[in-house]
Amino acid sequence: MSRILSTGGAINEAIAIAMRTDPTVILMGEDVAGGGDRSKDGTEEMGGVLGTTRGLVGEFGMNRVRDTPIAEMGLIGTAVGAAATGLRPIAELMFMDFLGTSLDPLLNQASKLRYMFGGKVKVPLTVRTVSGAGMQAAAQHSQSLYWITTGIPGLKTIIPSNPVDAKGLLLAAIRDDDPVIFCEPKGILNQSTEVPEGDYEIPLGKANIVREGSDVSLVAFGATVRIAMKAAKALEGAGTSAEVVDLRSLSPLDEEAILTSLEKTGRMVIIDESTPRCSIARDIAAVCVDKGFDFLQAPVKCVTAPHTPVPFSEVLEQAFLPSAQDVLDSVGQMG
Amino acid sequence: MATAISMPKLGMTMEEGTVIHWPLEPGKAVEKGQVVLVIESEKAEVEIEAPASGIFRHIYIEEGDTVPCGTLLAAITETADEPFDVDAFHAAEERPEVKGDRGLRVKGDSDPKPGTTSSGTGARKPIAPAARAVARKLGLDPQQVAGTGPNGRVTKQDVEAYAKAREALIPVDRSVSLEVLTSGTGDPVVLLPGLGTDVSAFARQIPLLAERFRVHGVNPRGVGLSDSPSSESYDVAQMAADATATYPGSAHVIGASLGSAAALELALNHPERAKTLTLITPFVDVSPRLRALGDAWPRLAAQADPETLAATLMPWFFSTSFLADDAARARTLRGLAQTVARVPATTLDRMITGMLSWSNSRSTDLSRISVPTLVISASEDLLVPDSGLIAQAIPGATLLVVEGAGHAVALESPDLVNQAITAHLG
Repeated sequence: MSRILSTGGAINEAIAIAMRTDPTVILMGEDVAGGGDRSKDGTEEMGGVLGTTRGLVGEFGMNRVRDTPIAEMGLIGTAVGAAATGLRPIAELMFMDFLGTSLDPLLNQASKLRYMFGGKVKVPLTVRTVSGAGMQAAAQHSQSLYWITTGIPGLKTIIPSNPVDAKGLLLAAIRDDDPVIFCEPKGILNQSTEVPEGDYEIPLGKANIVREGSDVSLVAFGATVRIAMKAAKALEGAGTSAEVVDLRSLSPLDEEAILTSLEKTGRMVIIDESTPRCSIARDIAAVCVDKGFDFLQAPVKCVTAPHTPVPFSEVLEQAFLPSAQDVLDSVGQMG
Repeated sequence: MATAISMPKLGMTMEEGTVIHWPLEPGKAVEKGQVVLVIESEKAEVEIEAPASGIFRHIYIEEGDTVPCGTLLAAITETADEPFDVDAFHAAEERPEVKGDRGLRVKGDSDPKPGTTSSGTGARKPIAPAARAVARKLGLDPQQVAGTGPNGRVTKQDVEAYAKAREALIPVDRSVSLEVLTSGTGDPVVLLPGLGTDVSAFARQIPLLAERFRVHGVNPRGVGLSDSPSSESYDVAQMAADATATYPGSAHVIGASLGSAAALELALNHPERAKTLTLITPFVDVSPRLRALGDAWPRLAAQADPETLAATLMPWFFSTSFLADDAARARTLRGLAQTVARVPATTLDRMITGMLSWSNSRSTDLSRISVPTLVISASEDLLVPDSGLIAQAIPGATLLVVEGAGHAVALESPDLVNQAITAHLG
């Protein structure tokens, strides 16, 4: 059975399933229950700034769905401690831009404890965070900073591209015994599709070939998968067969899937909505050139945002984000 | 091999340590991982394990002594009497950067550097890594492949197509295969093109010949898809020997210019393989003008595009009346440009070296030729002005002089040439 759900709805359902099946799962974050706006019966609460967790406090109560102060260092630090001492917390970091104020517990604690204590401590923490541009949330609430968490050994970084994946990947993330950063791209939060009911997981670290093709590989993740699919369709009209690889997971990275696709097509475009320097796109480009050099028929192309803050103006924000046209232009340059 | 035990540096602030206890007597066997030393540093006692198995030897520092980190304390040797070189240990300690660099080896530095295999076709063309990989696998030089990608980039598909075309090559010796274009059925006819051209020089003869014969057009070493073995010189006698490997039994041998030199060699060295001989503008010594052109030609081929080279060659190959026809000249220029593009400068160099060393070596042998011979000469031939004399030197040879034609007489006056060949081949 399935019904139409938005990505936000699918995430809400995954959290509810995880909390029903495991009493150690708790949810914490700024306004996840509703703060001062919550009515007494728990049905009118805010459910986070985008309403993603609305309804959960009603089912699971204030003890397991906990509002925290607007202090990310305290929120994430508490979540890391809770994870290390037996709970399985889901912490909501309202926007990924707030990573800076909560980084030390992730960078030096959550990601290192299992390693430094010889495997005697585990940190089964999931940090859900909204990433990316597209909602005119301006420069401090629109960044795609997954490249930072991907660069930290000991953290997993997951980014779904649609509601079905969001549910399965989040359930796998919550049940994973290591800290996972779960990105919720703004570009897909309101996307809706049929989502299976019930409890299912999608393995972390495995890419998904969403479209088979033979002439060029389009590697995408999160909100850029839709761009890649749009470009693939246009390319098909022009007689070029594009394969679309949805990474799903940035760390661990499914290098095998990337290189297998490159071997098949000989051409690689990576589409990443973050800024280009030290990006996932360029990281994958390096993998392709290093390990897939003999497969290359053309230069590896990266389609990314420019190296600027995310603009507030809707027109500029759309110009800032990678587009299907950018992908077509890159493919055109490859020959 | 001996292994040193020295005072370890156990923390960032540890500068020195005290030897507390040596649990083993010198001379005793020790297993790797066994505790051989207890030291004290920064208020903690630490057990030190043997870094290698062997015989525990040479205690240099007594219990209770405090020494700086890195000080030699003892040694483990493989055998009881193996010497331990204290000086070498200290030398290594004093120059830690040398120790650190030891063992660094640049792997495969004797291998040729990527992209240094040269075919001498002038400017290096871009080759996709995938094309390079396929070429490596197939044992081909990707620089030889014509590229169809952007900026002439050689693609994987280009290499695969080239390899497929090369499958039709005929091996003439253990490591060399030649591009042989065949058509028609019947007795074999072998075509030997001249310097710097390919089988297309016989384009006006092949259709007619193919009506009655099996035509074998042989592109010499380094021309078209034929292999280019590295060599100072492509010798004329070798060209003849190569040609004999491309057809069965005995053939009507037709050569033009330098190709007629190869035909002469074939008739002299392998008379049983030649049924008849047709020599188009032949020579036995290289004229000063041909020598001078042979000096300029490879240099131009290395530096100019094929169209420019072909345009420069035109006045040397064709007669005044042929050049007077603008339309014919333009048409021929396009064809000649395609032909010269198939002959790289290195091939020209090698063929010219072979031609010059062959020059004047066969002047007295022409009388030995026993095969029925036709000589075709052109009255306006600037490069080989006296080819008619060859006919006089070969017993029973027939001579056709095409009036008003240039060196490329087979292209310029195909009707007269074809008529004579048809009559000659019978």
